[in-house]
Formats: sequence, C-alpha cells, structure tokens
Amino acid sequence: MRALRAWLLRLGASVTGRAKPGDVADELSSHLALHIDDNLRAGMTPDEARRAAMLKLGGLAQTAESIHEQRGLPFFDTLRQDLVYAVRVLRRNRAFTATAVVTFALGVGATSAIFSIVNAILLRPLPLAEPSQLVMIFATEARRSLQFDGVSYPAFIDWQAQNRSFESMAAFANRDLPIGTSDEVVVARGKVVSANLFDVVGVQPAIGHAFRDWRPQSPDVVVLSDGFWKRHFGGSPSAIGQTVRIDERPHTIVGVMPARFTLDGDSEDYFQPLGVDTNRGRGFLRTVGRLRRGVTLEQARDDMSAIARRLEQLYPGSHKGVGANLVPMGDAVARRVRMGLLTIMSVVGVVLLIACANVASLMLARGATRQQELALRAALGAGRLRLVRQLLTESAVIAAAGGALGLLVAHWTASALAAAVADQFRVPGIESVRTDRMVLLFTICVSAAAGLGCGVAPAFASLSKDPNDRLREASRSATGRRAPRARRGLVIAETALALALLVGGGTLIRTFLKLRATPPGFNSASMIKADLSLPLPSFSQLDTRVAFYQPALQRVRALPGVRAAAFVSILPLNNRNNTESFHIVGKPDPSPDRGYSAVFNVASAGYFRMMGIPIRGGREFEERDAAGAPDVAVINEAAARAFWPGESPLGRQIILPLNKDVSQTVTVVGVVGDVRQASLGIAPRPEVAVNAMQTRLLGSSVTIVARTDGDPKALAESLRAALHSANPLVPISRLTTVDDVVSRSIVEPRLYATLLGAFALLALVLACVGLYGLIAYSVSQRRHEFGVRVALGAAQSAIVRLVVGEGLHLAAAGVGIGLVVAVAATRLLVGLVVGVEPQDPVTFAAVTLVLVGAALLATYIPARRAAAVDPIAALRDE
Amino acid sequence: MDDKADVWQGTLALMVLKTLETLGPLHGYGIARRIEQTSAHHLSLNYGTLYPALLKLEQEGYVTSEWGVSDNNRKAKFYRLTRAGRKQLDKEAREWERTTAILARFLTPGEEAP
Repeated sequence: MRALRAWLLRLGASVTGRAKPGDVADELSSHLALHIDDNLRAGMTPDEARRAAMLKLGGLAQTAESIHEQRGLPFFDTLRQDLVYAVRVLRRNRAFTATAVVTFALGVGATSAIFSIVNAILLRPLPLAEPSQLVMIFATEARRSLQFDGVSYPAFIDWQAQNRSFESMAAFANRDLPIGTSDEVVVARGKVVSANLFDVVGVQPAIGHAFRDWRPQSPDVVVLSDGFWKRHFGGSPSAIGQTVRIDERPHTIVGVMPARFTLDGDSEDYFQPLGVDTNRGRGFLRTVGRLRRGVTLEQARDDMSAIARRLEQLYPGSHKGVGANLVPMGDAVARRVRMGLLTIMSVVGVVLLIACANVASLMLARGATRQQELALRAALGAGRLRLVRQLLTESAVIAAAGGALGLLVAHWTASALAAAVADQFRVPGIESVRTDRMVLLFTICVSAAAGLGCGVAPAFASLSKDPNDRLREASRSATGRRAPRARRGLVIAETALALALLVGGGTLIRTFLKLRATPPGFNSASMIKADLSLPLPSFSQLDTRVAFYQPALQRVRALPGVRAAAFVSILPLNNRNNTESFHIVGKPDPSPDRGYSAVFNVASAGYFRMMGIPIRGGREFEERDAAGAPDVAVINEAAARAFWPGESPLGRQIILPLNKDVSQTVTVVGVVGDVRQASLGIAPRPEVAVNAMQTRLLGSSVTIVARTDGDPKALAESLRAALHSANPLVPISRLTTVDDVVSRSIVEPRLYATLLGAFALLALVLACVGLYGLIAYSVSQRRHEFGVRVALGAAQSAIVRLVVGEGLHLAAAGVGIGLVVAVAATRLLVGLVVGVEPQDPVTFAAVTLVLVGAALLATYIPARRAAAVDPIAALRDE
Repeated sequence: MDDKADVWQGTLALMVLKTLETLGPLHGYGIARRIEQTSAHHLSLNYGTLYPALLKLEQEGYVTSEWGVSDNNRKAKFYRLTRAGRKQLDKEAREWERTTAILARFLTPGEEAP
C-alpha cells in the first residue's frame, strides 16, 4: 500500500511536472550552510570549510539530480518531455498534423462506427440466461438443399427424448393471428412455444407465470410481451386473469414477459403453449437446446446426426435425407445480417489500412525533411532508441488525436446509420447501437495499433543511416532523387486496395441499379394494398370467406378515387415461396413420386388487368367465373413454356390436389406475362393462378389491391375505413402503396451498395491524397533538377509529362495489383446480394478509368507546380 | 540502482527513522551527523545520499517535512516522524534483530542447535 502511495505520488509529480527545483536547491544550500558553520567552528578557513562540506555532500548537481529522480518517475518524466516536444513540433507543422489527424480519424471513425453496429448485433449477448450455452437446431434436407428447415412435432419429441447433449430442449413456431382485446382486433406477431421454453432460455415472466403446469387439455392461456401489454392494457397488473380473443377463442392472460425480451429477434406480441401435432411431415418448429456442461458443439452435432440417421431408417417416408444443423443461438439470430456485417467490417478494415498507409507515408516524408535535426541530436549524444522513442511519441500523439476525433465520427455516424436502417432490418440489437465500453476499448486498441503501425517503420527508417552521412547529406539539397522506395510501395499498396474496394462498391451499385431497373412485370404506380387476416373459427368455411371478400371488395371499388380493385393471396415481390405440386390431364407426371410443381396463387376477377400484367393469350378472370361455372385458371408465360412447350396451353386441364382425398380440376383460360414473385433479383418461376370464387385454396389471409386515380397514399384511411365497415373483427395490416412494396424489396441491396460505395469513395479519396502527397513531395525535392532542365531548354509540357508519368507509373502498378485482388474479392459478394455478377467487365473498366482519372488529377496539380519552377530562383537556392 | 545500494538504502532508512525517534524533528544535516556519531564514525556517510532517502520516506508517508529555523538561526527543512513511521520503525527494527540473530548463529562457531 505504502509503495503504491509513493509510486502514485511520483507519477503525479511526473505528470504535472511540478518538480519544485527551488525547494531542492534551498534545502541543499541550507545543508551546506549548516555544515560550513560547523567546519568554521572546528577551526577551518572559510575556503577549506566550504570545500570539505561540498566534498562530504558528494557534489551539488549529482545530489540534486538524484533527488529529482526520486521525486518523479524517470520513465514518465521523459514521456512528458517527449509529449511536450511532440505537441510543439506538431503545432508548428499545422498542415502535416491536420492531414495526418483527419486521415487517421476517418479510418478509425469508419472502423469504430461499423464495429459499434457489429458489437450491438453480433457480439452483445442475447437477453437470455447464459446465451452462450443455447444452440438452435434446424432440420436440413439434402434434396431441397435446405439448411435452416423446421422440424415436425413428433421429430422434436424424438430429438428431445433421445439426445444426450442437451440439458433441455424446447421448440417454437411463429403464429401471427388476429388478437382481439376489449376494444379492437389486430394482427399480432405471436409464437407457439413448448411449455418448457421459458425454462430452457432461462427467462421467466416479469409478472404472473409461464406454462409450467400446462397440459394439452388445459384451458387456453397466453403470455403477453411487455410491449403488447403496455399498448393494450396500459401496463396494468390487473391484466393477469383477463381474457383476450386469439383467433376468436378466449385465452386467459397468465403472464407478461420482461421488457426487451425477445426469443429470436422478432418483436413478439404474445406466446401461446404449443399443442400436440402428430403429422411427421409438417416441419414447422424451430428448436432451441441448452447444452450440458462440458459438452462441445461438435459432440452435440455428432449426437444429433446419429439421431437423425436413426429417424431416417425408422421413417423413410418423412425423414429421408433429413439431418440436423446446430448453430449457436447468437449466430442463428443474426444469421441474415452476419455475412453483410462482416463484409462491411472487412471493408472498413481496408479503409483503415489505406488511412494508415497514408499517415505512414506522411511520416516518412517528414522524417526525411527532419534528417538534419535528427542527425544533430544523434551527434549530440541522443541514443538511437531514445530518438525512436521520441518519434514514436509523436505518432502516438497523432494517433491519440485522430482516435479521439474518430470516436466522435463513429459516435455520430453509427447511431444515425442504425436509426436509418432499424425499421427495415428487424435484427435484435440494432436499436441498441451505441458507443459503449466495448466500442471505446476497440477504438483505443485500433488507434494504438494503427499509431504504432504507421509510426515504427518511419521512425526506424529516419534513423537507419549513420549520423555523419545524414548530417552531410541533409545539408545538401537532394538532386534528382525520387521519393524513397518505401513511400512508393505504400502508395502502390493504397492504390491497389482502393481499386479493389471500388470494384466491390461498383459491383454492388451496378447490381442495385440493375435490380431497380428490372421490370417487376406489373405497373406499381398509383396502387395501394392492405393485408387481411380472417379469424379462422368464423371463416373456416369457404362460403363464409367468399361472403366477406365479395362485399368488402364492392365497398373498396365504390370508394371515390378507386379505379379498380381486386384481391390476391400472394402479391408479387413478397419473398414467399408457395410452391405446390400438381398433375396435368393427359400428360404423365415427370417422376412417379411427384407431380409438376409451380407457384400457386389465388386471384379475383380483373386482378391481372388492374395490376398492369399483360395478357398474352386467352382471357383473364372475369365476373362470370363464379361458383358453379367451370373452374378456370390463368398461368404465366414461364408455366406455358415449362409445361406446354411448343403448344397452346389454352383449354388444357390441371389437377390440383387440395388435400389427401380431394382435388380440383381447372381449365387454363389465359396466359399472362411473368412477374417477379419472390424478389427483383430472382427470375420469374412458373405460376398457376386459380379463380378466387371457385377454389378452396382461397385462404384466410389475402391482400386487397386497388388502383387509384391520384396519390394512392391519400386513400389509405378511406380504404381502412371501408374494410373496417365490412367487418370490424377482421384485422388489417401492412397498409401501404405498391411502390413502397417494390422499393422495400430492394432495401438490402441498396443499403449494401450505399455503404460499400461510400467506403470505396473514401478509399479513393485517401489513396489520391496519398498519391498527391508523394508526388508533391517528390516535386519539392527535385526543384533544383527541374530548374536545370528548364534552364537547359525543357518545355513546360515535358516537365508536366515527366511528373505525371511518375504518378501514373505508381497508379498503374496499383491498378494492376488491385485488379487481381478485386477478381478474388468480388466473388465474396455473390452470397451477399442476390443477382451479383462478379467480374463484371463494365464495372472493372469503369472503376479503372475513375481511379486513373483521379490519379491524373492528383499528380497534375504538383506537375503544374514543377513546370512553373523559375530556373533562376531554383538554382540560386543551392 | 544495484542490489548493494538497495540494502544500503534500506538500512539507511532504518537509521533515519531511529534518529528521528530519538531526537525528535531534525534537519537533514543533523540527521547525517547523528548517524555518523552513533556509528562512532565507523560509517562514512556520503551526505548527498541522505536526501533521496528522506524524500522516499516522505513519499511513503513515514516522515513529514516543514521549513523551520535551526539552533544557530539558519533556515532549514525539518523532518518529523509520523505515526506510520513509528510503526514502520518498530517493524523494521524487529526484522533487523531477527535477521542479525539468525546470521549470528550461522557465523558463531560451536553454537549449533543441541
């Protein structure tokens, strides 16, 4: 303790620099005076007395020095001196300091900004108990190359019973149902969860209890989320015991989860117990398990694969080719954005590298102009390591200033970026992006590493030569010397990295532009849509559904400003995959165990015309295709090509299996143009649409679409009112324009293109600054040479060519290396965004042109300066 | 600072503390003289080394210092033992005694344990 106290006091003395030398001098002179007094009393002459006292003290200066050393800590004393000196030197070279600090801040800021997002989404633990022990278990299916498929209830029970790796295992599935409180009916995001789920994840309701005593025959109960509870029950504890109607059935509220609880990032509204489901073919459950202590993920994988193989043998019908895929829960939740985030993180890492190369190059240049100062100090006895330490202190000051500025940059941009994408990306954690301790620590580490990285090499390089040589050399102006090899290498590396990033950014931008220019196959302008979800008990029969849809549609059509309206079960660009298998009358099935397959849809009369989907042959659905009339279907061109190549599909018949025993036979009456069903980046697939009034495929959730005369947004409220008046118990959701649907479908590619494009641009600017700096330096070093050339009759244009040539030489080397890197790097983008074409020659060519153009500009400015050298002045300087 | 100096520093600190305990507040020169006298001039102390030792003791909180006036009217810095310094003195004195006792047994022939 005492030692620590003493150390802290000494540290304090070093940091504040208050050594109080006067005090020491006073004490020593008082000592001498006392001693001299004694000596005089002993009979010495004044001179002798003084000499003897001094001798006995052991030298005034040495004593003062040793007291001084004891007062502070020598290491920190030196540090303080170096810091003071560094700050003074840096303040004297404002341009250099500002460039270095800003460059550094941009690199560190970009890196830290992205890191704070990565930290919030990928690194911060989930709000569950010991989340690192939680593992999601998905089914895999080799035949359809599925990696994240659901598992059936019976298979889940088998997994649960047979595994030896998990303490406990639970299952859940999404179930969005209409939920009615006393005042309104809304579509709520819900989950059915096995009764033990809250025990497995280790989070219990904040008030009330979960489903511990629940059995399949127990009365219906529900646990609400904190958000739903606050919205609909005002956060009142009396909600426990009240009932809500989920899909019209009364459920007793037994618990409310804590705030911010989410299972896998969906913002759930409610949780219901999972009932028994005996269908082994219906894989709808996601499974989460808590690993036993000491069991590794690998062991658990082996265990689960063994179980999957056993089930495969027992139930070849439903389990053929089905395996198990184990993913740590944190990774599974962020699966969708993980790759994107890591890609962008590596991109900013490259930007940081470029920034560091720039700063290092600047330091090298400065080291060169300071040769004389350093040589002088070395000659006066400063050790090499001492000088290196001092130069490193300078780069540390730059790194600290740049890092602090970068942290500010990161703080602002990260929260702005997160806020901008939060509603499009429903990823848990995105709302909690902030500059926390991890981000601070990361920024400090990155700044320190980068500062050291760009400081060490230049510091040693500045001192590599013998001080005598340096003194002699520095006093002469460098003639005909080009920039040193190290700096040229740095600039080439920067250019190469910038080119690779530009190619990456360019590829994504081109992909996005191509996506945006892709015709969706319909006309999205002036249209509005709303999703309807019918509560199943009241609408379990087809005629009750029809009896709702028909008058609802009439009300919408009657609205002023509505030109046409129709409904459809799946609107294009909705990322849903509703592939079903069917048979064609008069044609054998393609293989004995399965029929033809196509996307199935259900649409009402006039849907295709209203959507602006062209009719290529026959006709579309009309009012006369009512119940009782012959059942009709409309197919798209892709289906016509796939199933009736070279013949007319019109009048052909299709058999749709509705369930095990019932099927429906429909006649193709029309062929319409292709639309992009899943997303703009995915080619249209064969589609069969059945008439809504004639099929049991007409389900409980449909989308109603209306084409309007004016701004579709203006119709939103009257559309909602019309649907509400048709039946107030039917919840309406996702009421928006169709244009919005289209632009939302390319939100991700747009985000990646914007981010990568922005970082690539930053890289380009940094690389050009680096190139400019190098050429400008080289011109300043060769002033004398240019003066001689001009004096000997060189034309200005020749000088410009000479300098620009030097710059382009470097840029060309960078481009060459960068292209090779880019070829490999763009392949990584393929998995990121649908529709990426790696090694797109147009992008490569355009990007190379942009880079060479920028390099030309960066070298032309110093080249002009070189050409403008006044030969007389340049030679007189000598 | 090599090992020898450290040992010396350690014993010097002990002597300083003891001196201050015996004589009360005293300036550096007085402490140095007293140490030389007590050792019956067997120790030749380089006075300069006393001051870093005093500063270290002060940093550790065993002594405090204050400017004052000496007997013969000279301005001087007086050092005073603190309560922690008194405790430290007891502790170190006991340790020193034990060490010397152990060493004495080693070095005195014929007095090994029976």
